Amino acid sequence: MEISLPTFDFLVVAPEIVVLITALLVMVVDMVIGREQKGRLAWVALVGVLAAGALSYYLWDGSDPALHDMLAADGYALFLNLAILVAAALAILFSLEYTGRVGLAQGEYYTLLLLSTAGMMLMAAAINLMTIFLALEILSISLYVLVGLNRAERRSAEAALKYFVLGAFASGFLLYGMALIYGQAGTTSLAGIRAAVQAGGEPSALLLVGLGLMIAGFGFKVALVPFQMWTPDVYQGAPTSVTAFMSVGAKVAGFAALGRVALYAFGDLQGDWRWVLAVLSALTMTVGNLAALRQANLKRMLAYSSIAHAGYALAGLAAGNAQGTSGLLFYLFAYAFMNAGAFAIIIAAGRFEGATGGGETLDDFAGLAARKPGLAVAMALFMLSLAGVPPLAGFLAKLYVFGAAVRGGLIWLAVFGVVNSVISAYYYLRVVVSMYMREGRPAAVPAPVCAGLQVGVALAAVAIVLLGLWPGPIVDLARVAALALLGG
Amino acid sequence: MTVSQVVFILLSIAALGGALGVVFARNLFRAALALVLSFVGVAGFYVLLEAEFLAMVQILVYVGAIAILIIFAIMLSRRMMSSETQPWNEQWVGAVVVAAALFAALVFILSRVDWPATEAQVPADSISQLGQALVSPDFYVLPFEVASVLLLVALVGAVIIAREQ
Repeated sequence: MEISLPTFDFLVVAPEIVVLITALLVMVVDMVIGREQKGRLAWVALVGVLAAGALSYYLWDGSDPALHDMLAADGYALFLNLAILVAAALAILFSLEYTGRVGLAQGEYYTLLLLSTAGMMLMAAAINLMTIFLALEILSISLYVLVGLNRAERRSAEAALKYFVLGAFASGFLLYGMALIYGQAGTTSLAGIRAAVQAGGEPSALLLVGLGLMIAGFGFKVALVPFQMWTPDVYQGAPTSVTAFMSVGAKVAGFAALGRVALYAFGDLQGDWRWVLAVLSALTMTVGNLAALRQANLKRMLAYSSIAHAGYALAGLAAGNAQGTSGLLFYLFAYAFMNAGAFAIIIAAGRFEGATGGGETLDDFAGLAARKPGLAVAMALFMLSLAGVPPLAGFLAKLYVFGAAVRGGLIWLAVFGVVNSVISAYYYLRVVVSMYMREGRPAAVPAPVCAGLQVGVALAAVAIVLLGLWPGPIVDLARVAALALLGG
Repeated sequence: MTVSQVVFILLSIAALGGALGVVFARNLFRAALALVLSFVGVAGFYVLLEAEFLAMVQILVYVGAIAILIIFAIMLSRRMMSSETQPWNEQWVGAVVVAAALFAALVFILSRVDWPATEAQVPADSISQLGQALVSPDFYVLPFEVASVLLLVALVGAVIIAREQ
């Protein structure tokens, strides 16, 4: 019997491999170094993430290679890699001091963070239902554990259990949808499914039901209404640095796979799924924003805000055109900076408000501008960007997706989005008002902010200003990435 | 009714009855035993579909490993062995309505579908072909490797959760 050794172009998955090897490295180094040196693991992880980011950018030569119908290193995957790695790098910077303060096991923390990152990147690159599912489970299982990593906090365990049970349920929906699609198409490859969809005639009910179930499964991961129930409890209970990471990474990965399945595999059935996504988008932003209005806890408020943002981003997908796709990509990229940044300020506030409730409530932010002017400016920028105030990144991102929706004939959806943005301004501005116009208590603990966190916050703040004022390079990248998916 | 149809119905009763037993049993130990029955029923489906290897894997992995581990876990934790759980809570009405609606919708759609089926025979040496496909770069070596990462994640996660403080 002749056995041929696999011939593999490892370069295609080089960024993922780098992240995976770094994860293993962190695990091994964690075993040999002393207890007081564990903080250095963060730097190992950060170097790996940055190397993977550089590789993703360097690999992007427009050739869009694919590995045997399983993974593709096309522009779409590489662009999303950048967004995911930005979230991972920022999360590592924000964790430097936080992990020690809260008492998280650092070796396990960074290992799981990297494994989860690798899962997200694999999901962005997956062009086969099998690899999509495996990647989704890698990222989900590591996130379940990360959410529950804070053993001292009851809410952390509760959040992990909730996330796990509902996540497993959603995986079931996704798998069932995949099984039905496989039943009709006879293949798990997205290219094969695309061919089956294009085969003509009346679209098979199996394909449509399968797609519907898959939308439900992905909808859970990116927190679309009505699959969003878990979000506030999980975001609040999880360690804040994990929330910063997952609120971005899991959304990017979920949208990546949903975009590939809807726009590529089911591209010819746009008329059948566009209205579903449009309705979900309108529902998601409205419910998210109305619920966020009533929150006094900032982590919960940002959780509902992240639901609303999933709705805005989905509008780009519902538009179903090239502009909407590149708009979605730009949106996710900008969102990585502004949302992770906002959670970083909560981490910082928890340090010097430690005695009074973790720096999570609106009252903790009263008078922040007088005590920590730098942090207050950054937080104001993040809030204004999330609200969509020009000239920041959040404004341009919304402009792109709503513009694409109008061009795609969904004027009502764009109107919904604009009205929702106005509503959302109320609760974002409330934080700014609280920081600048209210008298705060004198700081409970006059503690300096960790330098790594300062660097991360500064980078995120600069990025959203630059993305808003000078979006050209990233918009061009997003356009090329969208064309890689849609076939330009 | 052909023999295979009768066998199919019996297997369905085992698989679905076992699944219902898992949900409705008040005692966790009995629920775990019902789970074994359900797994065996599914293994029977695979035999019926001429996928003998899959059937063996189903028995070995699901019955032999997973279900037995669950039973061990229940027996080793005393409180779980004796206590009765409450399978109902106050939200059962809503859950029944939603589940029934989903079930009805799926049955309605799936019963009218013209299921594509191939006439091709299962090859005689399917196991060796399966083995080669799993490690062949043209087929499944990549998902195979990615699955190993998934197992690593699960392993690390399980150790973290189970570890003493």
